[in-house]
Amino acid sequence: MSFVEISRLAKHYGDNRIFHDIDIQVQQGEWVTLLGPSGCGKSTLLRCIAGLTDVDNGHIRVEGEDITHTAPQKRGIGMVFQSYALFPNMTVAQNIAFGLKMQRCAPEEMKDRVADVIGLVELKGKEAHYPHELSGGQRQRVALARALVVEPRILLLDEPLSALDARIRKHLREQLREIQTRLHLTTIFVTHDQEEAMTLSDRIFVMNHGKIVQQGTAEAVYTQPASEFVARFMGSCNLLDAEQSQRLFGRAIDGHLAIRPEAIRLIRPQQDSSDTLPGIVMRHQLLGNVIRYEVESRGSVLWVDRLNRGADELMPSGMQVQLHVKNEDLREVH
Amino acid sequence: MQAKTWHRCMVTGLGGLLAIPVVATLLYSLSSEWGATLLPDGLTFGWYVQLWHDPRFLTAFGHSLAICLGTLFLSTVVIVPAVFVTFYRFPGLNRLMNVLILMPFAIPPVVSSVGMLQLYADGPLPLIGTPWVLIGCYFTIVLPFIYRALANSLGGMNLRDLMDAAHLLGATTPRAFLSVILPSLKPGLMASLFLSFSFLLGEFVFANMLVGTRYETLQVYLYNVRQTSGHFTSAVVMSYFLFTLALTWLAARLGKIGSQ
Amino acid sequence: MQSTLTTSETLPPARTASRWRPRHASAALALVPFITLLALFCLAPIAWVLIHGIKTDSGIGLEHFGEILSSPFYRQAFGNSLRISLESSALALLITLPGAASLARVPGRLRDIAIAFTNMTSNLAGVPLAFAFIIILGTNGAITLLLRRWGLVDDPQLYSSRGLILIYSYFQIPLGLLLLYPAFSTLDDDWKHAAALLGARPGQYWLRIALPVLSPAVFGTFILLFANAMGAYASAYALTTGNINLVTVRIASLVSGDIFLEPDMAAALSVMLMGLLILVTAVNQWLLKRTNRAS
Repeated sequence: MSFVEISRLAKHYGDNRIFHDIDIQVQQGEWVTLLGPSGCGKSTLLRCIAGLTDVDNGHIRVEGEDITHTAPQKRGIGMVFQSYALFPNMTVAQNIAFGLKMQRCAPEEMKDRVADVIGLVELKGKEAHYPHELSGGQRQRVALARALVVEPRILLLDEPLSALDARIRKHLREQLREIQTRLHLTTIFVTHDQEEAMTLSDRIFVMNHGKIVQQGTAEAVYTQPASEFVARFMGSCNLLDAEQSQRLFGRAIDGHLAIRPEAIRLIRPQQDSSDTLPGIVMRHQLLGNVIRYEVESRGSVLWVDRLNRGADELMPSGMQVQLHVKNEDLREVH
Repeated sequence: MQAKTWHRCMVTGLGGLLAIPVVATLLYSLSSEWGATLLPDGLTFGWYVQLWHDPRFLTAFGHSLAICLGTLFLSTVVIVPAVFVTFYRFPGLNRLMNVLILMPFAIPPVVSSVGMLQLYADGPLPLIGTPWVLIGCYFTIVLPFIYRALANSLGGMNLRDLMDAAHLLGATTPRAFLSVILPSLKPGLMASLFLSFSFLLGEFVFANMLVGTRYETLQVYLYNVRQTSGHFTSAVVMSYFLFTLALTWLAARLGKIGSQ
Repeated sequence: MQSTLTTSETLPPARTASRWRPRHASAALALVPFITLLALFCLAPIAWVLIHGIKTDSGIGLEHFGEILSSPFYRQAFGNSLRISLESSALALLITLPGAASLARVPGRLRDIAIAFTNMTSNLAGVPLAFAFIIILGTNGAITLLLRRWGLVDDPQLYSSRGLILIYSYFQIPLGLLLLYPAFSTLDDDWKHAAALLGARPGQYWLRIALPVLSPAVFGTFILLFANAMGAYASAYALTTGNINLVTVRIASLVSGDIFLEPDMAAALSVMLMGLLILVTAVNQWLLKRTNRAS
């Protein structure tokens, strides 16, 4: 039996279905991400798991225990909010100690545990500061420390990094994952950023319009999208309709053909031209370490990504090229 | 949804509590007799009829209206340019202004009256007993409300940029003020004027101490006829209360139209 | 960012407003009527009061204050005013706290109507309010009769300080609501949720987080209510025809009315009252600054 079992969870608000038919299993120590666009219901789902909102249908079980209707105080769940929700009238140390105070922890033990977790999130020296004196990244770490110090059995994270600068976000992302691994803490993470989801998660649950549309490892969801929505959402994707698919690859399909830009190889025309498509480079975009080419082939425009290996390897506009795609990289999606 | 209903009940309960004196006065004004019983003995409009035919009441009401409207007119004409000039030309004065407009709040009307009675009884400015002293005092009463409303409006718009744009297009400063700034000030100004009006109608202290019966206003009249029937006085109260209600409703409507 | 401009090329400092610039003279004219009215009807009377409070027959002195403090009559006036103001403000605050908490939580339409309604009822303040309370709680008032029938009270003392406390509380409530409910809107729901997940019951959340965060606003409101009550005159006067011993009533009776007129004493009393109010307003402003710093 899984550590966390969510079965047939559903919630609606009047006529509006927030989410339905939610089935999620999480193993102990696993990092699982709920990924989806804004409004897909992922944050509400997280709050229901925490017990902050009630559900209309279904069950939530943790370690075999049914907590669907248990008060949030008693679920043993820690949560980091998107807005951090630090108590403004308390210092960093008092914020972190709050949960221990509620558990009537002995003052000596409390001091030690708070000091330990402050060291863990690298906030030594900030104990006597107030939230309004801290930067965004520091506040996030206080929120994390506050949730961790009470040793919850599950950690919930509601888009904790979305309010931060890109650089800090990357750094904190790594720190977060490292702490989670060290503590072997079962974690459910919510985000709309697929890059974040892919770098952090053991498994991803992709949500859309209140339903889980695909679940699996980052690798699986990325290379084998189950639907057009997932293909589009998880990074850029070429999507060919039935007519284009027939024209370019001779494949009769029912839906769309998804091809990742990096799966298309560009070859100069000198090489063996069987099993390839002819194409002309139209323009290119410099994305940093990747160059994205727009290549026209047989009336369709395809994105092709290549690593940026310097100016002498750049293919100029108007250049004739040949495109090659492996069969297994042609994914049919509906 | 237990919390939601609690909050609704709390708010309506509070409203009900506050409504009790109003309802009681209304009932009293409509009852022909209300002795030592829980509810009135009979209902009648007679008191209102009597009231609205009473020349003393009508005079007092007229006096109140005249003074209030006079005050509001004077205040608008004096305060609006002053606030604009402060914000535009002398922004450093803002802090001083904020302190100045606090003063009428910190000084109770009785205290002001002490000084006024001594200063303006005779001598160069014999204002006591005339409506002019009331208009002056009422000006200081409404000053905080009107100033605040105008300051909020002016603070919210990009005054300097608007004036600069108008200047570049050929307008003089007064012209720019009238055509560009003043229209945006209207909603806030009107709201504060209506609020002030209802406030002034209920003013008693200055009216009684500085003018009394020499220019009897509504509240002074109300106090002076207290020995007559309580039904009668209740009718007075309800009359001007309903008048204020109509005004406030009008202000709300105008406010909605203004914001559209 | 390093500036590459040399000193001679740097821009002149931004124009600071100076009221002595000749081109702004016309603008200054707009301020003249404003200042004149303010001076005549606000500053001058206060100045008179301040000067005459410390003026005695033999020049400047604090004799009046000594007289006031040694007179049991005046001491009672201050005692009554303080007691009634404190108790009515406390009562109003007790009612307003949960009221404002709920007001911040109800949907916008109900809130707008509620606020408009409380504004309307505050139009009753002063003389009409006293009369209304006489109708309800006077000797033959409706509620008096109810209370008598239920054997609760024989004669509710409307015409005493208890009655005044009730009346004052009534007109304090709309003011309190208006001042407090914006503060409640600043309470972040997520604080409540975070506290719950950390094991706090709702009561503990209110005690340890919400009330401390609100306390400057609550205290500031109490102070404003108190100042408002100290300066109130009309309701008390109308209820008791000036027979109750309050500071404001005393001041008024010393400058108008039938007995000896002693404007200088009135001035001294006024100075003491004003001193108290200014102290109280200053504390409020300081508290406001503190809340602004913390947020």
